[in-house]
Amino acid sequence: MNPLLEYHRDLTRRQFFGDVGLRLGGAALAMMLQNTAQAAATSGRVHPPLPGLPHFKPKAKSIIYMHMNGGPSQLDTWDYKPKLGEFFDKDIPPSIQGGQRLSTMTSGQSRFPVAPSKFKFERMGKAGTWVNTDLLPYTSKIVDDIAVVKTVNTNAINHDPACTFVMTGREVPGYASIGSWLAYGLGSENNDLPAFVVFTPKWPEGSNGQALFTRMWSSGFLPTKHSGVAFRGAGDPVLYLPNPDGVSGSDRRAMLDAVNQLNQRNLTRLGDPETATRIAQYEMAFRMQTSVPELVDISNEPQSVMDLYGPKAKEPGSFAHSCLLARRLVERGVRVVQMFHRGWDQHGSLPAQLSGQCKDTDQGSAALVTDLKQRGLLDDTLVVWGGEFGRTVYSQGTLTKNDYGRDHHPRNFCMWLAGGGIKGGQTYGETDDFSYNVVENPVHINDLNATLLHCLGIDHDRLSYKFQGLDAKLTGVEASKVVKALLA
Amino acid sequence: MKMIASIGLFLSTVSAVPAAVPEKVVFNQHIRPILSDKCFSCHGLDAKHRKAELRLDTPEGAFADHDGAKAIVPGKLMESEAWKRILSKDADEMMPPPKSNKTLNDEERATIKRWIEQGAAYQKHWSFEAPLKSAAANSIDTFIQERLKREGLTMAPQADKETLARRAAFALTGLPPSVAEVDAFLADSAPDAYEKLVDRYLASPRYGEEMARHWLDVARYADTHGLHLDNERQMWAYRDWVVGSFNENQRFDQFTIEQLAGDQLPNPTMKQLIATGFNRCTATTSEGGSIDAEYTFRYAVERAATTAQTWMGLTAGCAQCHDHKFDPLSQKEFYSLYAFFHSSADPAMDGNALLTKPVMKITTPETDAKLAAATGKITETEKALEAAASVLVYNDPAKAEPRPPVAQAENVWFDDAFPAGANVMSSGHPLKLRTVENGAQVFSGKISIKRSGDGMVQDFYNGGAAPLAIPQDAVFFAHVFLDPANPPKSVMLQFHNNGGWNHRAVWGDYAAIEFGTVNTNERVNAGPLPEKGKWVRLEFPAEKLGIKTGDQLSGFALTQFGGLVFWDKIGVAGKSDPATDPSRSFLAWWKANTGKDVAGASAEVIKIVKAGPDKKPAAADEKKARDFYLATICSDTKAALGPVAAAVATAKKEQDDLDKIVPSTFIFKDLDKPRDSFVMMRGAYDKPGDKVIPATPAFLPPLAKAAERATRLDLAKWLVSPEHPLTARVTVNRFWHQFFGVGLVKSLGDFGSQGLPPTHPTLLDWLAVSFRDGGWDVKALVRQMVTSAAFRQSSRVSQDLVTRDPENLLLARGPRFRLDAEQVRDNVLAVAGLINLKMGGVGAKSYQPANIWEPVGFAGSNTRNYTQDKGDALYRRSIYAFFKRTAPPPFMSNFDAPNREQSCTVRERSNTPMQALQLMNDTQHVEAARVLAQRMLTEGGTEPTARITFAFRTILARRPEPEEMATLQQQLAAHLIRYQQDAEAAKKLIAIGESKAPPTLDPAQLAAHTLVASTLLNLDETVSRN
Repeated sequence: MNPLLEYHRDLTRRQFFGDVGLRLGGAALAMMLQNTAQAAATSGRVHPPLPGLPHFKPKAKSIIYMHMNGGPSQLDTWDYKPKLGEFFDKDIPPSIQGGQRLSTMTSGQSRFPVAPSKFKFERMGKAGTWVNTDLLPYTSKIVDDIAVVKTVNTNAINHDPACTFVMTGREVPGYASIGSWLAYGLGSENNDLPAFVVFTPKWPEGSNGQALFTRMWSSGFLPTKHSGVAFRGAGDPVLYLPNPDGVSGSDRRAMLDAVNQLNQRNLTRLGDPETATRIAQYEMAFRMQTSVPELVDISNEPQSVMDLYGPKAKEPGSFAHSCLLARRLVERGVRVVQMFHRGWDQHGSLPAQLSGQCKDTDQGSAALVTDLKQRGLLDDTLVVWGGEFGRTVYSQGTLTKNDYGRDHHPRNFCMWLAGGGIKGGQTYGETDDFSYNVVENPVHINDLNATLLHCLGIDHDRLSYKFQGLDAKLTGVEASKVVKALLA
Repeated sequence: MKMIASIGLFLSTVSAVPAAVPEKVVFNQHIRPILSDKCFSCHGLDAKHRKAELRLDTPEGAFADHDGAKAIVPGKLMESEAWKRILSKDADEMMPPPKSNKTLNDEERATIKRWIEQGAAYQKHWSFEAPLKSAAANSIDTFIQERLKREGLTMAPQADKETLARRAAFALTGLPPSVAEVDAFLADSAPDAYEKLVDRYLASPRYGEEMARHWLDVARYADTHGLHLDNERQMWAYRDWVVGSFNENQRFDQFTIEQLAGDQLPNPTMKQLIATGFNRCTATTSEGGSIDAEYTFRYAVERAATTAQTWMGLTAGCAQCHDHKFDPLSQKEFYSLYAFFHSSADPAMDGNALLTKPVMKITTPETDAKLAAATGKITETEKALEAAASVLVYNDPAKAEPRPPVAQAENVWFDDAFPAGANVMSSGHPLKLRTVENGAQVFSGKISIKRSGDGMVQDFYNGGAAPLAIPQDAVFFAHVFLDPANPPKSVMLQFHNNGGWNHRAVWGDYAAIEFGTVNTNERVNAGPLPEKGKWVRLEFPAEKLGIKTGDQLSGFALTQFGGLVFWDKIGVAGKSDPATDPSRSFLAWWKANTGKDVAGASAEVIKIVKAGPDKKPAAADEKKARDFYLATICSDTKAALGPVAAAVATAKKEQDDLDKIVPSTFIFKDLDKPRDSFVMMRGAYDKPGDKVIPATPAFLPPLAKAAERATRLDLAKWLVSPEHPLTARVTVNRFWHQFFGVGLVKSLGDFGSQGLPPTHPTLLDWLAVSFRDGGWDVKALVRQMVTSAAFRQSSRVSQDLVTRDPENLLLARGPRFRLDAEQVRDNVLAVAGLINLKMGGVGAKSYQPANIWEPVGFAGSNTRNYTQDKGDALYRRSIYAFFKRTAPPPFMSNFDAPNREQSCTVRERSNTPMQALQLMNDTQHVEAARVLAQRMLTEGGTEPTARITFAFRTILARRPEPEEMATLQQQLAAHLIRYQQDAEAAKKLIAIGESKAPPTLDPAQLAAHTLVASTLLNLDETVSRN
C-alpha cells in the first residue's frame, strides 16, 4: 500500500468524524452511536465489515473483475489446439460431441464442421503460456503474472441465464451478485466513495453487443446499499452528483448547513436514530461531490502511465479509461470494481469481430496489471478476466479458413486471474483436442467464486444470508471447493 | 429488499428481554426456532439428506429407538442421546457437527435442557393450525397494551393533529395532505374528526393507487418482458385493474380468485380476464438459442412459488430440487402445485412482442361499433376492387404469342400499403401511415410512412406476406423525404432473405446504426445523406448487398438514426421476363404459389391457389384467384386499379389505426389439452421423475375439486376457504406491515418454521379471523388499523426504548419510517402543485438522467433508447411510471424499489448518500423546489416569515418552530444576497425543468426561495412518514 495514500485516507477519516462530531454536537453524536451504525462509528468506517470478517487473513484487499460479456472464444485466445488444422471443415467426431445439449441456434444445423482458429499462437513468458499473440500482444507480455484457467464451466447455455449465473451463482433473477456479497461482507476502506463500483464501457462498433442486466451488480436479497454503483461513461460519473446549474459548492454548503440544523432539531424532538444516519449520509454525499471528480480527474497521471494504457485511456467511457479509473479506485481502498465490456458474442464473422474486441481491451487490461504491479498494489488486488461461457469448436454459419462463427459453449472456457493470492505464470486445467470437454481439473463457476472469495479472506461456506428460509450463499447449495492449485 | 434479521437477534432484543431461559418452555416459541436453524437441515423433513435416519421435527422421530439409543427421552436429560451429543467436545460426536458451521450458544442449550426436563412436548407449527379468535380482547389496542404491560411498557400519547393528518394521508393515499385538508381537520373539534379524515381518504381514488403499489411488488408487475432483449410488453390494464379493485373495495377472496383463475369462472367478464394478468407478470425470454422446455418449466415453477409465497407465506421454491428441509412440503407436493400452472397457454418464447398471446382486446361498446364500421368499409372497398378487377382486360404474358420481350420494369412493394399480409413491426413509436391531410409529405398515392425518434428507429416486416422475387440486374429503390429542421444522421435500407437480415445499405453517418460487420454486405456504405427537404429516390444494386437474381425476399426494413423521415414508393427495378415474372404473369405466380398459403387472401382464394393451375379448377374459381392477383399482386394492373386499391388501403389503415388505439392486455389461459407434469429430479427441466397431477400439500386442509382434475379455480377457492390456516393470516400481516412498518410476523414471505414467530400471535389470529369472517373487507381492515390508538401514537422515542426495541415491534410508540420511492417523488410533485392525477394507461416516461437504458440495452431492443415524455406526462404519479426491468427508473431503485424481476414481499428502507444526491440534484426535485418557490412568492404572502411558513406547512403540515424559522430566514437572506450579486447563476437555477418560471418574478428572489424550498424537501422529516 502506498504510504502517502494510507496517510491521506486516515486524514480523511479523521476529518470526517471530526466534522460530523462538530456539526452534530455531542448529544446527537451520542445518539448516532446508539444506532445500528455503532460498529461503523467505532471502527471509523462508513462501510464496516460484518463482525468476524474476514474469516482469515486475506491475500487481496480489493478485486477488479473484468467481465467480457457475450462469451469470448477460448479457442481463439488461450486454449491452443494445434491438431485442429487437419479437421478443418470435417464434422466434429460424435465421440467428442457426445450428444451434449446444444443451443437451438445451431441444434438444427445439418453439419458441425470444425473451425480451427486462424490465429497465431505462441508460447510466452518464463512459463511458456500458450496465447494468441496476434490478438493479445499486450496481455501476452504479462503471462508470468497471470494464471490462465482453461476449464471454467457453467450450467447455462444462453446469455441471460449464464450472465446471471456467473455473477450471482443462480440462473434465475433474485440472488445477490458477487460484488454485493463482497461489499456486504467486507465493507470498504474508503469513506468517501462507494464500496462497489461498476463500469459499463463502450465496445467496438460492429460487434454484437448483448444486453447487460443491472441484476449482475445488484444486491438481490441483500440490503440494497450493497448494490454496485455504476460510474457512467457519459454524463455525470455518478448519478445526480453535480449541483444544479447556478448552485455553487458554497451554496450547497450553506444549504446543507441549514438541512443539518433542521434535521438535528428533528432528531432532538423525536429521537429517531435514522435521522442521525441521514445527517451522516448528506455529509457523505457532499464529500462524494468532491471525491468523485477528484477520482475521475486523470490530468495528473504522468505521461508514462497514459502511454501504458494507450491512447484511448483519455476518452471517458472507453475500456482503457475504466481500467485506469479501476486502479485509482483500488488505490483509494474501494473494495470491488467491475467492468462489463460487451460485444464478445461471435456467432459469425468471428475473426474480424474478435480482433476488434481484443484491440479494444488488450492494452488496457494488461496495463492495469502492469500498473498495479509497479505501484506495489498487485499483491493486494485480485484481478479477474473472463466471460459467461465459451464458444464451440464447430462453426456456426459460413466456414472458410479465414472466416467462421461459433455458438455458445458452456462446458469449458478460459478465464485468467492475477494478483493478490494467485500464483501467476501457470495454465490450469486441460481440455480435449477439440476444446469441447474438460479432461483434467474442471473449475465450475461455483468453485471459481469460492476461490475468489478465499483470496479476499472469506470462507464461502460461512458467508450466507437468510433468504426464503435458506442460508443462501454465492456458491450455491452443493459443495463447492477452493481451487488450491491457483493460490500463491 | 428482504431483510430478515436472524432469529437470535430477534430473541435477544424483544422476545426474551431480559435474555434468560423461559420458565415454561413452549415448543413453537422457544424450541422450534433453535431446531429449525441448527438441526433440521440434517434431521428434518428432507428424507434424502437426512443423517443417521434421525428426524427431530416430529415426536415420533425424536423419541424413536435407534439400537437402544433414543435422541430424546422426555423428562430424562441424561438418557437423551441428543443432549449428550450437544455436550460432547469430541469432534466426531458433537452436535451440531463442526463442519456444519453451526453452534448452539449457552442460552440455547439451557433452553433445550429445560424443555427436555419439562417433558419435551411438541406442537404443530403455529401457522399450520387454524387461527382461533381469542375471547380475551376485542380491539387491536387491547392486544398491543396487553403485551406492553407484560414488558413493563405503555403506549405513547397520541400524536398531534398535524402529524396525524400527514401520517394518515401518506398511509392511505401516498400523498401529503393539502394545507386546506389540514386546516379543516384542525378546525374540526368533533371526537370523530380523525375517523372522518380517514374516511375521506379511504374514499379518494388515490387510495386505490397507494394500495395497488404494494400489491404490484408482490405481483412483479412491469412494462417489459425482463429477460434478454427486455422489450416492451402491454399489460398496464392489469395494473389499472388492481387500482380499481382496491378503490371499489373488492372482497379479498374475490380479488384472489379472479387473479388466479378469472378465466375459469363461468362466462368471465373482461375485468375478470384482465385480473389473470397476475400470473402473466412473470419475467419471460425470447433469447435465441433458448430451449422451450426449459422455460415452460421455469415459468411454471415461478408461478407456483409466487402463488405459494403470496397467499400462504410459504417458501415453496425450496422444494423445487428436494423435499423442503424445514416445512412439511415434499418435492412431489411442490410439483403438484406446479402442475396447476404448467399447462399455461403462453409460449416459452415471448417473441419479444408487445403482445404475447394469450391477449385480450380491451374494447368498449363505442370501440366495438367503430371497429365493426371499419371492417364493413374494408369489405365494401374490397368488393369494389374485385369488381374493377373482374372487368379488367388482362392478357397473361405467359400465354401471349409471340412471347413478350425481356424488358426493364419496376415492382412496387410499398405504395400506400405494405404487401398484403405483412406483419409490420416497429422500434420506437408504432407504425405511422400518414396522408397529406395529416400533415405528411407524400410522394405518390395517398399515404406515406412517417417515422421519427431518437437513436435507431425503424419499421420492418419479415413474414406474413408473399415472398418478393428479385429480377435480373435488380436495383432496389425507395423514396425519402428528410425533414430539413430535424434530419436523421443516417437512413438505411435492409432486406431479409433466407440468410436473415444481413443486407444493409446505409446513406449518411455510416457508424451511427450499429448493425452488421463494416465493409461487408452486412453494412454497405451507399453514400452521403440525401438532400433534405425534398423527395429523393435512393437506389442500390441488389448484388452489392449479396442478394442474387431469383432470390426470394421475405421482408425489408426502413431504418434511420434520429430525425424525421417520410418514406414512400419502395420496390425493385430490374429486367423482367413478363412470361416468368410472378409479378406480371398470373400463371407464373400461381405456379410459384402452388402448395402454399397465400398471404392476405381470403380462405377461399387460398384454397384455390394452393391447389395449383394443373388441377383443372372451375372457371369461376380461376377467376376468383385471377381477380385477387390482379388487384393485389400484378404490377401491371395494380396501377390501373390505383384509386380503387387506394380506397382498400385507406380502409385497412383506418382499421389498423383504430386497432392500435384499442389496447390489449396479457391474460392467463390454459392449453386445451393439459401438459403432463412430473417431479423434476434435482429441479432440472430435462429430468422428469414421477408423474404428478394438480394437488395441494397434505399438511393443509383437503382441496375441494369440481371435477376429476383439479383446476386453478379449485386452488383459488381453496386458498380463501374458511379452513385454510394461512391466507387470512398472511394477508392481514402484509397490510399490518404496510401501515405499521413491520409485520406482526416480521418475515412477511415466510410463515414456515424458518420464518419468525409472530410478536402478537393472538392479535394476528384475531385480525385474520375477523377479516375472513367479516367478508374479506379490505377497507374495513385498513380502517381498523389506522384508527387504532397504536397507529395514532406519537413516534417520539427515548434512547432506552430505541435500544430495547429498535424496530418498534412492540409498538410502544407510533410508526415512523422513510417514505417509499413512489411517495418520495409524488410528494415533491404534490407540494409543488405539479402533480398530474390522470389515472391509468400506458407507462409514463418522466425525467431520467441520460444513459440509464442505453449502457445495458441490447442493440435490437425496443427499450434501448429512453424517450422522455413531454408536458403534463412528466408529472404523472409514480405508480404509472414506465418500468423497465433490466434498468428500472433510478428514482425507484435508489429508494429500494425492487426490479420486479420476481415477486417481492418486503422492500428495504435504506439510507444512503445516493439518495441525498438525488433529492438535492435530480431535475425533478430541483424543478419541484423552484415551482414551490414560485408559490411561496405568489401565494405565500409578502414577508419572508409568511412565505417560509407557507412552504413549511405545505410540505410538513405543521408550522415551523421559532428556531427552525430563524435558520430558514438566515438561509434565505444569505442566498438572496448571493443571487443578487450573481444574476446569471440565479437565471440558470430557475431555468431547470421543462416548466417555465414566470418572467414576472425576480430571478434572484426565485432562486433564493428555490434553495429554501429545496432545503425543506431534503429534510429527514419530509422523506419520512411520521
